[in-house]
Amino acid sequence: MTVFLQTLVAGVLIGGIYSLIGIGMSLIMGVMGIINLAHGQLMMVAMYITLVLFNFLHLDPYFSLLIAMPCLFLLGVFLQRFLLNPLMKIESILPENQVLMTVGIGMVLTEIARFIFSSDYKSVKTSYSSSAFFIGNISFNVPMCIAFFFALALTVLLFWFLLKTDTGRSIRATAQDKDAATLMGVNTGRITVITFGLGSSLVAAAGCLLLPIFYLFPDIGGPFTLKAFVITILGGLGSTVGAIVGGVVLGIAESLGATYIGMGYKEMVGFVIFVLVLIFLPGGLKRLTKV
Amino acid sequence: MKKRLMLTGLVLIFIFGLNLSPALAQDTIKVGIVLPLTGDQAKFGEIEKQSFDLALGEINAAGGVKGKKLEFIIEDDTGRPEVGRSVVEKLITKDKVIMLGGGYSSSVTYAVAGVCQQNQMPFLINTGSADNITEKGWDYIFRLNPPASKYSTSVEELLEQVIKPKTVVILHENSLFGTSSAKSFDEQCTKAGYKVVLKEGYEAGGIDFKPVLTRVKELNPDIVYMVSYVMDAALLMKQSKELKIAPKMFIGGGAGFTLPEFQQNAGVASEKILSATLWHQVLPFPGAMDYYKKFVAKYNKETEYHGAEAYAAAYVIADVLKRANSFKNEDIKKALSETNMMTVFGPVKFTTWDKMNNQNKASSYVVQWIDGKLEMVWPKDLAAKSFAYPVDWLKQWGY
Amino acid sequence: MKSRNVTLIVLGILFLLFPLIIRSDYYQHLVIIALMWVIIGSSWNLLAGYTGQVSFGHAIFFGVGAYTAGILTTKLHISAWWGMLFGGPVAMLIALFVGWACFRLRGPYFALATLAGSEIIRLVATNWESLTDGMVGILIIQSFRSKLPYYYMVLALAGACIYVIHLVMKSKWGYYFVSIREDQDAAESLGINTTLYKNISLLISAFFAGTAGAFYMNYMAFIDPHVVFSLHYISIMTILVGIVGGVATIMGPAVGAFIMVGVQETFRSAFFGLAPKWISQGHALVFGLLVIFVILFMANGVVGDWAKIKRYVFRIKA
Repeated sequence: MTVFLQTLVAGVLIGGIYSLIGIGMSLIMGVMGIINLAHGQLMMVAMYITLVLFNFLHLDPYFSLLIAMPCLFLLGVFLQRFLLNPLMKIESILPENQVLMTVGIGMVLTEIARFIFSSDYKSVKTSYSSSAFFIGNISFNVPMCIAFFFALALTVLLFWFLLKTDTGRSIRATAQDKDAATLMGVNTGRITVITFGLGSSLVAAAGCLLLPIFYLFPDIGGPFTLKAFVITILGGLGSTVGAIVGGVVLGIAESLGATYIGMGYKEMVGFVIFVLVLIFLPGGLKRLTKV
Repeated sequence: MKKRLMLTGLVLIFIFGLNLSPALAQDTIKVGIVLPLTGDQAKFGEIEKQSFDLALGEINAAGGVKGKKLEFIIEDDTGRPEVGRSVVEKLITKDKVIMLGGGYSSSVTYAVAGVCQQNQMPFLINTGSADNITEKGWDYIFRLNPPASKYSTSVEELLEQVIKPKTVVILHENSLFGTSSAKSFDEQCTKAGYKVVLKEGYEAGGIDFKPVLTRVKELNPDIVYMVSYVMDAALLMKQSKELKIAPKMFIGGGAGFTLPEFQQNAGVASEKILSATLWHQVLPFPGAMDYYKKFVAKYNKETEYHGAEAYAAAYVIADVLKRANSFKNEDIKKALSETNMMTVFGPVKFTTWDKMNNQNKASSYVVQWIDGKLEMVWPKDLAAKSFAYPVDWLKQWGY
Repeated sequence: MKSRNVTLIVLGILFLLFPLIIRSDYYQHLVIIALMWVIIGSSWNLLAGYTGQVSFGHAIFFGVGAYTAGILTTKLHISAWWGMLFGGPVAMLIALFVGWACFRLRGPYFALATLAGSEIIRLVATNWESLTDGMVGILIIQSFRSKLPYYYMVLALAGACIYVIHLVMKSKWGYYFVSIREDQDAAESLGINTTLYKNISLLISAFFAGTAGAFYMNYMAFIDPHVVFSLHYISIMTILVGIVGGVATIMGPAVGAFIMVGVQETFRSAFFGLAPKWISQGHALVFGLLVIFVILFMANGVVGDWAKIKRYVFRIKA
């Protein structure tokens, strides 16, 4: 029983971080239909920023959130404005050229990071990095719990933002029907740029929260991008609650898979779920709950 | 039409030009070294390259080989077997090296050895350890380091004489090195009468090992044996600490567990962890401590068994070339098979034993992280510090 | 039109004579690898460039072809050369399954599903040790020491691949493929069985990719799951070859293959030894920049936008 509970706890906690990674992508995909294969690399950039702040200014990663998030927002805005928006106007035979553009962006970001920081594995050592508290027999990793609550808080903030603010409503309108939104006076060009920035800053937060738990190297982005996809597809495009649920479901599925099927197959669980959802449940869990 | 012809002409001249470009530094003896200089194994490749460089400087300062300077052409295999193969072909056909050295990753070494054997190019492996490499009966392939299955011999002695466990858990990464090490340790445990209650492979680079570690905790084994590279090793220990897993001993199978980065990243979770190793600077081999000190002084960082393997290999290569009747493949092969010398890594002699040929019989040892430093603790007569056991893990971890 | 044929004939003769003039194993190897990529890139182009189904998992077919050849040797103890015969068909079988699973998905979702599929197969190959020997990989001894037989074999394969695709695209099938790419629903409404033709395109594509994989097994003589099912080094490389060279052109992937292999080796060898060592990982950066550049300014690739290049670079009035 302990094994099951501990596995569950581990899955839920990592699911929190996964959700945060996925929510940015879900937003971007929901609003703009853009598949961002550089999502993980954006997180990588945020993690390097956090690392530098930690090494030179001794700034705790949780405080770096306040710096990394705006930085990535700006980076996202830049990428969307100069590299992705122009694609909407180009007539080309090339199918999915926007996806491929993000592949190129991802590669460039990775290589620049490698050039500056080399391929070495880097990590931050904080006093709480591997501390854990116990409820009964079950161990709860402290940084992961903090990350989980941050993820929850950011999601609630996002939810409120999308629901209550003007910009948020414009974003939702653009997601629903771009042309209709333009007709209603929404500057969709600006909205897409803001959305990409927003999505980037969310994944930046995930990076800051992940750094104390894991480690950092230039190629870290790839696997996380894939996880973000699984979550986005699982939870439904553009659905904030869906991303939370999707993240936690993925975390739990991976944990259970690792414990009961075998650690070597852990990565496969995500992919199998991904394919199954794509085939049998288009629209994701959102369709089942109508949120 | 004219422009097209001109372009074609230029291309042809370019191709010819590349082909005819003369080799620089004609009068050196060229040996090719294949190492991962980039990619995720770059850290080890770097230590080995630096050790090769250090040794080369000394060898040439002492007169080189037969009066000529020795040259190491170090090529990057990027950690991928297919690149390793291409790189070795280039070394053989374009750079015209007379023998090959290096070989870090087991997969790459295996693929490269295949090429060398086919081309009858003598290859002195100093790190790639999967057993199958010297079990193929390839007569041009020689290995300085012991095969992966022998890494844990010293650990097994320690288990037998001191700890005497009943149950063992083995965790390993899903690479050639990890899988073959785990397999042979499993066999050894079964032979010694210990029960292997869990043996599990994992994909390197995972974030969360808690699922499998929870199972480990429940099985409550006496020994947890892990074969991992450095970052996974650090995470495994940190997360074991979080789960309060307290076996009689945690033991690493070499590789990541002996790197300084392991201690830096795992912190208190690395304290008192044992690992198998193939070398330590306090060993009574002539020049071992000197090599360590010289390396630290020159490169401002620690070295460990991989570096020692490379340094020793450089000296073996020089010795072989001095003894060879000529630089033809067969003569170098003959000189290699007649090798009988002492190096900082220990005695080097290539013989046929178990299922292997051209395999040096190097010993393994056990090290332990004590007060943040890697100390040699076994065999007892060579140990610098005494082996800390039993360990109150929970107390050490601050619970 | 005529000058184009002349160029092709001259190129053809150059390629036939190449290994007899340039005797260095090293350069022969590079061209062999480039020719192999011509096959893989062209096969991807048929499915993605012409039929609009962008596969991010072409490593599936390549790897399956390679393992077919390899497993024939390790399990059935027959020569890996039989793999050249069976690699393509086995890849086609897998393709049927991939098509069934993924063709109901459109555009980017198809791309992602193929990506996931490729990773799943890689993990299966790593863990199913009784069949594939897992990470030990499969090592064989090359049948020929000289590279010449391999060179002419891959040259013939590349030529056949391009020619077949050329024939297919000139036929009615070609029209169906393009119509599916342009607007699948409109094509369906015109009575074209889009599922059937998407699968035909996929099968042809998988056949060539699989045969290239079998060739790889025979030539490189070593494979393991990370090598042949690699997302980064096979699947993504295929896409790069296709888009840089020019999607939806016959010669595009061929040009792309040579460019990408050339750039990669130039950087890995640090400009053949002339540049400082740290530049050797630089090829990945150049690839990324190339992709961005091509998509922004030359979306139809070097071949597709050749007229544009001529105008801007060579200042030749087209």
